Amino acid sequence: MITQPNHVPERLGLLATSAVDPFLTEELLKGEQVHGGIDLAKVVEPFPEDDARWWVEPIRSLVEDAMFEFREDRTRADAWLSPRLHATLRLTRREAADKRLWNHLALAVAPDYVIWRHLSEPTANRPERRVAAERFRGPADRQCFSRLWWAAELFRNGSDYEPVEVACGNQDLIHTVLRSELIDHRPTAQALVRLLKSGQISGGREVNGLSVAINAAGATLTYDVLAPDQPRDPARLREWIAEAESAPPVQRYELPDGPDEDPAPEESVAALTSYFAELFETAPVRGRKNGD
Amino acid sequence: MKFYPYKRLNRPITLRVTSVSLKLSDGTRDQLETAAYSTQQQAVAFGIAGRTDWVSATVALSATLPPGANVPDAPWSDLCVLAVLTDGETNVRTSANLTLDAEGGRDWSGSLEVFRDDHLCRASLAVYAVGTVDGVRGRSIAETDRNWVIDTVSDEPVRGLQLDVQKASFKKSSREWLQAYADAPWIVDTSARVPTVFVNTDVEGVIDLLDTNGSGVDSKVRDLLVAQMATDVWTAVFHGAIGDLEVEPGGGPVFPTDWQGEVLREMLPDVIPGVHVEEALRQVHRRRTGDSGWVELQTRIHYAAVRRADATRALGFVIRSLEQMNRESEK
Repeated sequence: MITQPNHVPERLGLLATSAVDPFLTEELLKGEQVHGGIDLAKVVEPFPEDDARWWVEPIRSLVEDAMFEFREDRTRADAWLSPRLHATLRLTRREAADKRLWNHLALAVAPDYVIWRHLSEPTANRPERRVAAERFRGPADRQCFSRLWWAAELFRNGSDYEPVEVACGNQDLIHTVLRSELIDHRPTAQALVRLLKSGQISGGREVNGLSVAINAAGATLTYDVLAPDQPRDPARLREWIAEAESAPPVQRYELPDGPDEDPAPEESVAALTSYFAELFETAPVRGRKNGD
Repeated sequence: MKFYPYKRLNRPITLRVTSVSLKLSDGTRDQLETAAYSTQQQAVAFGIAGRTDWVSATVALSATLPPGANVPDAPWSDLCVLAVLTDGETNVRTSANLTLDAEGGRDWSGSLEVFRDDHLCRASLAVYAVGTVDGVRGRSIAETDRNWVIDTVSDEPVRGLQLDVQKASFKKSSREWLQAYADAPWIVDTSARVPTVFVNTDVEGVIDLLDTNGSGVDSKVRDLLVAQMATDVWTAVFHGAIGDLEVEPGGGPVFPTDWQGEVLREMLPDVIPGVHVEEALRQVHRRRTGDSGWVELQTRIHYAAVRRADATRALGFVIRSLEQMNRESEK
């Protein structure tokens, strides 16, 4: 397993996807050898503004703690790291949609974490251990760090990261639902987490079955009307981002606080939770006998 | 064709944007000129103001429901009309209720707030009429048939593919990755926010040729060159979009929401003719990920790209000019 590159930049930057390939070597994807960092630094564009948010050290220290704490069970690192990465790297969605930032984080700052978290287990068919390239540069819901950041952004309930922990504790949920548009509606995301938390849905097939059913019903139903959300106040997020300048390192044992935004309206979340529970009763789920 | 298990309106809602204003960081407002939006293109471009210090934009809307929406014995009640803005890149979903202009009418209006922090480039705007049908709340009764494009960056309201052309010395560019392509006259990068053509200024004269004005043979050659670049771009963008498709759990591939989706919608009818674009997308995806058929499809993809790039026309004009030149030199 590799360690961090010899040269780790002090600040985050932007690494164009077209510039990534020379560093995404077969040796790296197998977790055998990492680039030195110096050559990569040459193709990175710096952020136009100098901002405390782009300091690498707090992120580096987070991923190191995660690798230590979860050395016995790496999938559990997601639920721990997701809210803490989000509270450390305070971004607007506009900034977070820039894939170059995530390319840089994965390739220049913490390639060792990507390998540690995503190196495949050897199987009879594929005895060779390898990381899929999309974990370094790929769609937002697949890339190692952007998937964690977006999971936190989409599942947090205002400033409360607890639903994020619940959602990330279920790999199937973040694997299948994160790419789907349905959780862009906050009350829907919160309702899903509640069903998970209460144990009404659990395994991958159930999560899949339910999300298919929600999507299908959504073709004729407008969830925005059934369960209205409140408009968000963008100033609250801006304030939280500005506070990054003076924020201490995120807590390791307690959950940090997110931006001071209002939670999704309780009535809406409750209404959708019971509606989805009903849908799930009748949804076809592979491996489940209906009418049990 | 979708089927619905309840009564709906058959025709789509028509949507117009009636004004756009930007709220600036100092609290003042900048009313955008009407050139910022186009009903024909169904697109809005905030970039027309040339500002980067805006915080949010207010888009005023007017929607007309199809006939039958306001009849007294309609099978629905609690009618409301909703404008919904979605952005696949930032996962933002914002909705705003519109209000009925006049009792008994079919025109609804209102406005939608678009925050700069929430979008990188393009968002998509649709309007839904929703009511209670057969005791079920939240039923969608009618919607707009084509989403409006809300482009937060572009300075021209067009919905189609927009290119960024950048000139750079590949050998000396600060983008060091370009050095690997130092012997190419241009390359296409589809991984950026919008597809970008980098033209290599190390090829002497290429910029002069591209900047040619006038009607001589130079300009015809330039058009041919541009058509060749455009063919490359369309092909690269198509492959990029197909390679990145998201697949719904339990379903087929879904159209990307950004410009990649626009490109696919435009090219697919030429790639797999005679079927609905949704079906064409499924077929192409199956061929790419399945065992066979992907190689055979390349000719069709190339054909779709060549058509979009107007290559035949450009070639025709060059040949005509060359013939003319030869004739004149023989005199």
